[in-house]
Amino acid sequence: MVAWTGLEHFRVGRFNPPPPAIEPDDYVTSRLPLSSSIRGKLISAGYTSLSSISSVSSTDLARDVKITESEAFEILKMANQISGSSSCNGRSSSLVNGARNAWDMLNEEEALPRITTSCSDLDKILGGGISCRDVTEIGGVPGIGKTQIGIQLSVNVQIPREFGGLGGKAIYIDTEGSFMVERALQIAQACVEDMEEYTGYMHKHFKASQVQMKPRDILENIFYFRVCSYTEQIALVNHLDKFISENKDVKVVIVDSITFHFRQDFDDLAQRTRVLSEMALKFMKLAKKFSLAVVLLNQVTTKYTEGSFQLALALGDSWSHSCTNRVILYWNGDERYAYIDKSPSLPSASASYTVTGRGLRNSSSSSKRVKMM
Amino acid sequence: MKPRSLLSQSPTSLKLTTGCETLDECLRGGFPCDSLTEIVAESGCGKTQLCLQLSLCAQLPISNGGLDGSALYLHSEFPFPFRRLHQLSRSFHVSNPSIYADHNDNPCDHVFVQNVHSVDHLFDVMPKIESFVTNSKTRLPLKLIVLDSVAALFRSEFENTPSDLRKRASCFFKISGKLKQLANKFGLAVVITNQVTDYVESSDGLSGLRIGNLRCLYSSGRRVVPALGLAWANCVNSRVFISRSDDIVCQERRDDDDESGSSLVSGRARRRLDIVFSPHLPPSSCEFMITRDGICGVR
Repeated sequence: MVAWTGLEHFRVGRFNPPPPAIEPDDYVTSRLPLSSSIRGKLISAGYTSLSSISSVSSTDLARDVKITESEAFEILKMANQISGSSSCNGRSSSLVNGARNAWDMLNEEEALPRITTSCSDLDKILGGGISCRDVTEIGGVPGIGKTQIGIQLSVNVQIPREFGGLGGKAIYIDTEGSFMVERALQIAQACVEDMEEYTGYMHKHFKASQVQMKPRDILENIFYFRVCSYTEQIALVNHLDKFISENKDVKVVIVDSITFHFRQDFDDLAQRTRVLSEMALKFMKLAKKFSLAVVLLNQVTTKYTEGSFQLALALGDSWSHSCTNRVILYWNGDERYAYIDKSPSLPSASASYTVTGRGLRNSSSSSKRVKMM
Repeated sequence: MKPRSLLSQSPTSLKLTTGCETLDECLRGGFPCDSLTEIVAESGCGKTQLCLQLSLCAQLPISNGGLDGSALYLHSEFPFPFRRLHQLSRSFHVSNPSIYADHNDNPCDHVFVQNVHSVDHLFDVMPKIESFVTNSKTRLPLKLIVLDSVAALFRSEFENTPSDLRKRASCFFKISGKLKQLANKFGLAVVITNQVTDYVESSDGLSGLRIGNLRCLYSSGRRVVPALGLAWANCVNSRVFISRSDDIVCQERRDDDDESGSSLVSGRARRRLDIVFSPHLPPSSCEFMITRDGICGVR
């Protein structure tokens, strides 16, 4: 045993440096309501922090500190209570390294920003927008507006923090060739105009920051990849981890569409399923690691069940497990609707939207309703 | 792997003019390069007329809305209208003499025609296009591929059973994937024509599935749907629809034109071009008619 001088800093400095993560308020001395003699015994035995106590049994503690077992048990109980109530510091003891409790995760998730779709009705059913850290799949028939949503999100992710955005960048993976620069520019221009209008309004009340962004800057911050075969697509997805590590501002990855190259040349459907689920896993990892949103656009196909054809998103049943959230776009009369088909946290709901020259917006009938209120 | 800079391209992607201001306005400049555009219409609406005109317009210099290139015309509907192409090329030559003055050639020299009998034949031809583009010693590089029509290739070969339909869909994606790859690699405009089928009300409701902005497409007073179904619709970037009605285009208009094409006036039907879906175009439409000199917009 180490010779003990009674001076804590001496012991720390000379013999046995403590784990670097310990902060002063974690010390037993300041946190546990103990008598000074027991506190002294604890410290002299080397139990200086709450975390060091929590990992031993009461028998071991009693032997090391030379106190009775019931005293040791009381100490452990108090230590557990304190570390339990102060879980917000995120270093609460856990059985498995890296495990976190649901409360922390909820707090963290609620603090995460969401990417607005520029259509408030759609944002509402999405719980505020497309959530970061999740893989969201959006599917619908040709011409319903999948690409429009993709372009809109790649612009909206760049809205600066002062305006309630993320101030991030976007990766756009185009497998179909539907990304049109002129359309992206149109939407970017409308986005900048909206921010300027907002600034003008805010100026009357208090000083707001000027809009620094130009539509050209917005285009510059979209990393556009054109992919012409499924091998290229797989290679690119494998490369993304490295690319995003070098470009940390990337906050959304859009794939338009995930499907196209996988609907040709695949005779072996089992192999296709394997390749796709591997890709899905990589997207999931990227989303968690860099806390960014992954948006996969998917096509619609007809599924043959029990003698009749039904509409379903492409790539089959096993693929439908690959995404956290699933949104289906469909026509209802003359209006476009989005429907939350699958989500662990959102109730299933639908909302209408329109595609205008300025991008995605609320459909006109609902905006009338909003105006009336 | 590096992202492509969006700023290095011109803000509007290169477009191929249709040779008609009204249509160009509706299409915001014409048919885009590095993109696959489908023209859907029943027979006799002017699909082939439009395609022939496009193959000639591709030869215009870029400053005039052309692509400074030649065209490859894959046709699966027989016979190929050589006479009509010749007729159009003469008037095209007269209105654009400067392109051909120095080289002593004529517009027909820059339209390559290849017939396609079947799906397998098409798969055979497509790889050759790539070597044709890279190795050809023609004066103008290839900038336009026309496939007229995709429906004719598939009409007879496949049965209406689930397994055949799956095979057919896989072919669609293969054709589209290859054409898009070529379009991307060489900056080509790709135009594909498609036929229509009559809309049949059925219990499964899928043939009435709404694709694009028009709830129903009417041509000659009948409700129609584009052929080849949902799977093919997923393969194209933009879809335009041409319909005709047998009303004769307004009287005043006819008097203006009388000198140029008096013999053709009586049969001129009103034709309408609708944008069904497109990533860069709002739903809109315009009307046009077909004259001896080609397609001409009606305001």
